[in-house]
Amino acid sequence: MEVTLKIHRYNPETEHSGLETYTVQADETATLLDVLDVVKDEVDGSLSYRKSCRMAVCGSCGMRMNGAAVLACKTPMKPLVDRGEVPVISPMGNLPVIKDLVVDMGPFWEKFRAIKPYLDEGSGDAPVKEWRIQQEQLDQIMKEALCIQCGCCVSECNSMEADPDFLGPAALAKAARFVYDVRDRGGKGRLERYNGYHGVWDCTRCYFCNERCPKGVDPRDAIAKVGARIFQEGMRSDKGARHAKVFVDSSHKTGYLLETNLVPETVGALAAIKEIPFAMKMVRAGKVPNPLKPHKAGKLDEVRRLNTLVGEQEKQALEAVHRGPAWPAEDAPPPPEDDE
Amino acid sequence: MVRHDVVVVGAGMAGMRAAIEAARYGADVGVVSKLHPTRSHSGAAEGGINAALGNAGEDSPDKHAFFTVKGSDYLGDQDAIQVMCEEGPGDIYELEHMGAVFSRTEDGRIAQRPFGAGGAPRTCYAADITGHVLLHVLYEQLVKSGVTVYEEWFALDLVVDGERCVGLTAWDLVRGGVQGVEARAVILATGGLGRIYRGTTNAYACTGDGMSMAWRAGVPLKDMEFMQFHPTTLKANGVLITEGCRGEGGYLRNGQGERFMFTYAPNAGELASRDVVSRAEQTEIDEGRGVDGCVLLDLTHLGAKRINERLHGSRELSLDYAGVDPIDEPIPVRPGAHYHMGGVDTDMWCRTSMPGLYAAGEAACVSVHGANRLGGNSLLETVVFGRRSGAAAAQEVRENGLGGVFPPAAVRVTERRIKSMLDLERGERPAALRQELADTMYDNVGIFRSAEKLELAKQRVGELRERYARGLTIQDKGRTFNSDLIQAIELGSMLEMADCLVTGAIARTESRGAHSRLDYPERDDENWLRHTLTYYDNGEVGLDYKPVTITEHEPAVRSY
Repeated sequence: MEVTLKIHRYNPETEHSGLETYTVQADETATLLDVLDVVKDEVDGSLSYRKSCRMAVCGSCGMRMNGAAVLACKTPMKPLVDRGEVPVISPMGNLPVIKDLVVDMGPFWEKFRAIKPYLDEGSGDAPVKEWRIQQEQLDQIMKEALCIQCGCCVSECNSMEADPDFLGPAALAKAARFVYDVRDRGGKGRLERYNGYHGVWDCTRCYFCNERCPKGVDPRDAIAKVGARIFQEGMRSDKGARHAKVFVDSSHKTGYLLETNLVPETVGALAAIKEIPFAMKMVRAGKVPNPLKPHKAGKLDEVRRLNTLVGEQEKQALEAVHRGPAWPAEDAPPPPEDDE
Repeated sequence: MVRHDVVVVGAGMAGMRAAIEAARYGADVGVVSKLHPTRSHSGAAEGGINAALGNAGEDSPDKHAFFTVKGSDYLGDQDAIQVMCEEGPGDIYELEHMGAVFSRTEDGRIAQRPFGAGGAPRTCYAADITGHVLLHVLYEQLVKSGVTVYEEWFALDLVVDGERCVGLTAWDLVRGGVQGVEARAVILATGGLGRIYRGTTNAYACTGDGMSMAWRAGVPLKDMEFMQFHPTTLKANGVLITEGCRGEGGYLRNGQGERFMFTYAPNAGELASRDVVSRAEQTEIDEGRGVDGCVLLDLTHLGAKRINERLHGSRELSLDYAGVDPIDEPIPVRPGAHYHMGGVDTDMWCRTSMPGLYAAGEAACVSVHGANRLGGNSLLETVVFGRRSGAAAAQEVRENGLGGVFPPAAVRVTERRIKSMLDLERGERPAALRQELADTMYDNVGIFRSAEKLELAKQRVGELRERYARGLTIQDKGRTFNSDLIQAIELGSMLEMADCLVTGAIARTESRGAHSRLDYPERDDENWLRHTLTYYDNGEVGLDYKPVTITEHEPAVRSY
C-alpha cells in the first residue's frame, strides 16, 4: 500500500526544523515503525527515531501521531491509509527534543529515580526460599508491572505541562507497584515521597495517561491507589490530601461540595483570609451559592451508600497488603522455647 | 575518557546482573550500553526461567542437568551445566526477594510449568512477561547499586595492551564523538545476532556487536554454527509467541487439522525440544500440509479465562501482529531464527582467552546449551553467569591491581575510522546489504542445511563483506543521534558474524541439535563431539576445535 505521512524534523546542528511529507510503499501489515524504517532506508537516512523490539515491550518508540502519544510499533497504518488520512508524526511532549523524533528521556528517568524505584527489603530478614504470597495479593500490582517506561503517559500529562517537576504518571505508577507490594517495608517513609509537593495530589485527574497508555497500566488509577494508601495511613498534612478530604466529607455530609468550606479547610482559616478578595469576586460573578440556604442533596442516602461502598473496596485492597507475605513453613523461625 | 575497575558492555539481564555483582564486591563499575537498560532484548523473553525448585512436582538439579545435556545433543559442557542447574534455585529466590512478581501456586510458592524437553514442570514464570518483569527488577537493583550507566553509548573496539584487555572505545550516540573507556576488566554482555536472519524473533538491536569486537581482537568464538529456530513465531514480522502456550496445553496442527507432532516425537508431542519441533513444522510445510507457509498453534480449547490469565501477552501480540484472537481461532505460526547458542568462548567463570576480558549471556558460549537450548534456560544462564562474571571480574581486579595501560592513541584510531565512514560520499546504502544478508541466511543457512547451500551462502556473505569494505553511504552527516552511522557499523558486525556462522556450519559434516544437514543426517560422535572455534585470521575466518567436557552422561541416542 502507499502511505503518506508528515514528519516533524528537527536538526539541532543546523537548527533546521519543519514538517516534511513522505510517500512510500509499505506492506499491508506495516506499522508506523515499519513505515519510518522505509523512509529511513529508502528516502532519507538522516531521519532519527528510537526503536528496538518492534513488539511493544522495550518502550523505545514512543512518539506522537496526530498529536496523541503512541508506540510506533503497535500502530497499524492500514486503517489510516483506508481512511485517506495523512498523519502528522512528531516527538513526544513534555520532554526536550534532541533530534527529529528523539526526545531527551533524562528528566523522565530522574523522576523514576526520585520515587525510590526498588523494593525496600527492610532489615534483610528474607526467608531462604521464596516469600509465600497469594496470587490475589500479587494481582494488586500486576497492572503496574506491565509498564514498559515508554513515556507515552508523560507525553500527554496536563499537570506536567504546568509543573515540570510533577513526579508524573509513569513514576507514580511505579510507586504504586511498591506501595502495594506485600514484601515492601518502605512504610510511611516511602509514602512521604509521594505525598508532598509535585506528588500524587498534583494530578489533575484528566485521565489522558490512562487513555494513551499502550500497555493498559492505567497510571491515573495507580495514582489514586497511592493517594488512598496515604489517606489510610492518616497522613493528611499535605494541602492536596486535605483538599481531597473536604470533597469526601462534604459529599458525605450533604451530598454536595460545600465550596465555602473548601478553601479554609484546605489551607487553614488564617491563610483563607487572604483569599477573601478573590471570594468576593466570585460572589459578584455568581459563582458562590448562598451559604445560608440549607444545602443538602435530595437522595443523600444514596450518596452515602456509594461513599461507604468505595471505602469498603479500598479497605479490602489494603487488607491484602497489610496481611503481608508469609514465611515458608521450612524457614519459619523456631517457636519460643518453653522454660518450664 | 572515563575510568572504572569493571566495565560491562550491554545492559540486558546478563550485563545488569554482572554489574550488580561486581558492585557488591566493592568494584567501581561502569555500564556501557547502546540502549537504555530497560530497552534490552531480555525483556522480550516471555515464557519463563528454569530452576529445579520442585514446587509443581518432584524435581532436582541433577534431573535439570540431565535434560539440559540431552537437549544440547551432548555438545554442552557438563560441568558448566551442573553449575547452572545447582546454583539456579538460589538465583531465582534472590530475584523473588528483589521483588520479581512470579506467578504463584495455591500455597503461595513460585508457580512452575512444563517446557519443551525439560522432563519436569520446572519453568518459573510471571504470566507470559517473565523477561520483562526480570529485566525491570534488575534495573531497579542497578539504580539502587549506584553503578554509572553510559546510556546510548555504542561500543566500537576493544582496546588491548599487549595481551591484556584494558578497555574499549565507544561512540556517544546522543552527543556524537568517540569516548575512551578505560577498565581493568571488561565484561561483554551484548546479546545475540538474530538480525542476520530474515524473520527473526530478535530485536533490531541484536546484531552481534560484542562477539564481533572480541573476534576482531583475536578472541575465539565457539559453536557459532548453532542457531536455534523457535517453533512459534508470527508470519508477518517474526514476533515470538511463547513456548508457554504449549506448556499450558496448546496444540500444533497442520493444514488438515492434525496434531502432527506425535509423528515426530511420539512421547513428548508438542513439548519436544525446539529443534525437533521446528524441523517437524518445516517438514509439514515443505510437504504441502501447511497453511500459507505456516502451521497452526491452537489454544482455543484452553478457554478465555486461562488464556487471559496466563497468556495475556501472547493474545495481545497475536491480535496486534496477526489480527487473530487465539480465544476464537488458531494462530498461524512458523519457525523463526531465535537464539544463538554460540558466542565468545569462555570457561565456567566467564573468562575468555584474553586476560581481563569476560563474556556472559547470549554473547558468550560457556557452553551450557550445546547444539540446542531448552526453553527457559537462557534467562537462567543470564543470571547465573552474569553473577559469576561480575564476581570473577571484580575479584581479578582486586588481586591483579592495575593491569595494563590504555594507549591514548586508541581513541584517535577509532575516531579516524568513524570519520572516514562519515566522509564517504559514494557507495551503497546499508539497508540493501542488510536485506541481502538476511535473505541469504534465511534461504541457505536455515533449519535444513546442505553443503551446496552453505557454500552458496559463504560466497554471498564474502561478496557482501567486500561490498561493505568498499564503503557505504551514510546520509546522516551530523553527530547528534546519528542512527544511520550506528546501523552501518552494526551491519559490519553482522557480516563478520554471519561469516563465522556459515564457515562453522560448512565444516561440521554431521547433524546435531539445531545444525541439521540433509547431506549428513546422522550425529557423528566419533568426529564431531567437539566444539568449533572460529577465530580472526587476517580478516578471514579460521577454524579450530576443542573437546567437550563430559562428566556423568555418556552420549546416547536422543529421542522425545
